[in-house]
Amino acid sequence: MQSSSLTRYEQQDALGVAMTVVIGFEGSANKIGVGIVRDGEVLSNPRRTYITPPGQGFLPSETAKHHRSVILTVVREALDEAELSPADIDCVAYTKGPGMGAPLVTVALVARTLAQLWGKPLLGVNHCIGHIEMGRLITQANNPTVLYVSGGNTQVVAFSERRYRIFGETIDIAVGNCLDRFARVIKISNDPSPGYNIEQMAKKGTEYVELPYTVKGMDVSFSGVLSYIEEAAHKMLSSGQCTAEDLCFSLQETLFSMLVEITERAMAHCGSQEVLIVGGVGCNLRLQEMMGIMCKERGAKLFATDERFCIDNGAMIAQAGWEMFRSGYVTELPDSWITQR
Amino acid sequence: MSLKSISANMLKKKKKMAEDVSGNNHAQQMLGFNLDVPFPSEREASIALNSLSPDREPRKGGITKELVAVGNVLSVRWTADEARVLRVSVGSFLDHLALVLETMEAFGPPIS
Repeated sequence: MQSSSLTRYEQQDALGVAMTVVIGFEGSANKIGVGIVRDGEVLSNPRRTYITPPGQGFLPSETAKHHRSVILTVVREALDEAELSPADIDCVAYTKGPGMGAPLVTVALVARTLAQLWGKPLLGVNHCIGHIEMGRLITQANNPTVLYVSGGNTQVVAFSERRYRIFGETIDIAVGNCLDRFARVIKISNDPSPGYNIEQMAKKGTEYVELPYTVKGMDVSFSGVLSYIEEAAHKMLSSGQCTAEDLCFSLQETLFSMLVEITERAMAHCGSQEVLIVGGVGCNLRLQEMMGIMCKERGAKLFATDERFCIDNGAMIAQAGWEMFRSGYVTELPDSWITQR
Repeated sequence: MSLKSISANMLKKKKKMAEDVSGNNHAQQMLGFNLDVPFPSEREASIALNSLSPDREPRKGGITKELVAVGNVLSVRWTADEARVLRVSVGSFLDHLALVLETMEAFGPPIS
């Protein structure tokens, strides 16, 4: 990434008429999204999800194939909904990583080609920063401790000394991965998402089944919880010891308690009075409720968004891209390679 | 820019690859594979080159891929140790190329 002189924007800034329009492309996992942001306003944000049959996860090459088949339709939708033409765009932002290689390449190819066809600068964006910037834009949280929870990531992040710093994280699998894989074990539908269906089933759970609880300082581990429940689920269900709903309820309570605990510890550590939850798991209302209780006890404020902005989307890449572009960053084409980490 | 012309080209190249494969049984020779893709203009060939170049083949994958644009033709040259690795790389390149072509058809031609 290189800094470049943005004379046009400096001039516009001086005149007070700057309007910067960024189109953002996201496709690091099973969602493909294109969003357009103009100075903090989301003009459009269409998205498609690659949904696999119950019991199956999504594999890189099939996911890339899905993205290839719909991406141009989604770009057209984003432009039409925003009532903009390519000439109105100032910058093309895309997810550089982290994520699955094949889907990332698919989206980067289209972003690179469009940037050149339209004669616009290209900008590679970090997926995690995209989530955080989108959360900040939507909630107007000022300087929050961020809990970033999704199918691929679980981190407690705070801005400290001019950088986002990771205070705690999972030492194995992400919380969303734990939920998704549990859903596969008992064949819960992936439509609209396994996490959403677990959340609905959990509401009907009554019996709490004790599960391993693994917190070390500000880090968490979910792989042991998953192994335990994978092993126990079929036995307990077939013997009628508990219902699938009870297992969903117990798993959510256990996992979310762990997340609330490490978030509280990070807040105490940084003296923070705000929490922002981002990432796909962040739209779970039970997680938001439990976090809210902790925040209330500490006199802190909770910020969260709904599925439109929590779950991977194009606007979050456009928003992080907008911040970077306005700070003078662009990505030259030879540097626009994607990264899985 | 139609994909038909590419597949016709591909058939010829596949025959060439078959010869190379048989050659490999006798000596420690690398497999080679060439692909030429004509574009409507030099500009479009260069756009495709810039879009398809940044993501490199894995360093220890036993395969190299070189892309160049000469005039309105994008040329790709592969060398590989094994036919299996070569097939995977060529296959995924063709998927990528098709997507770039579709993007050009949907949102082109490039602004001058």
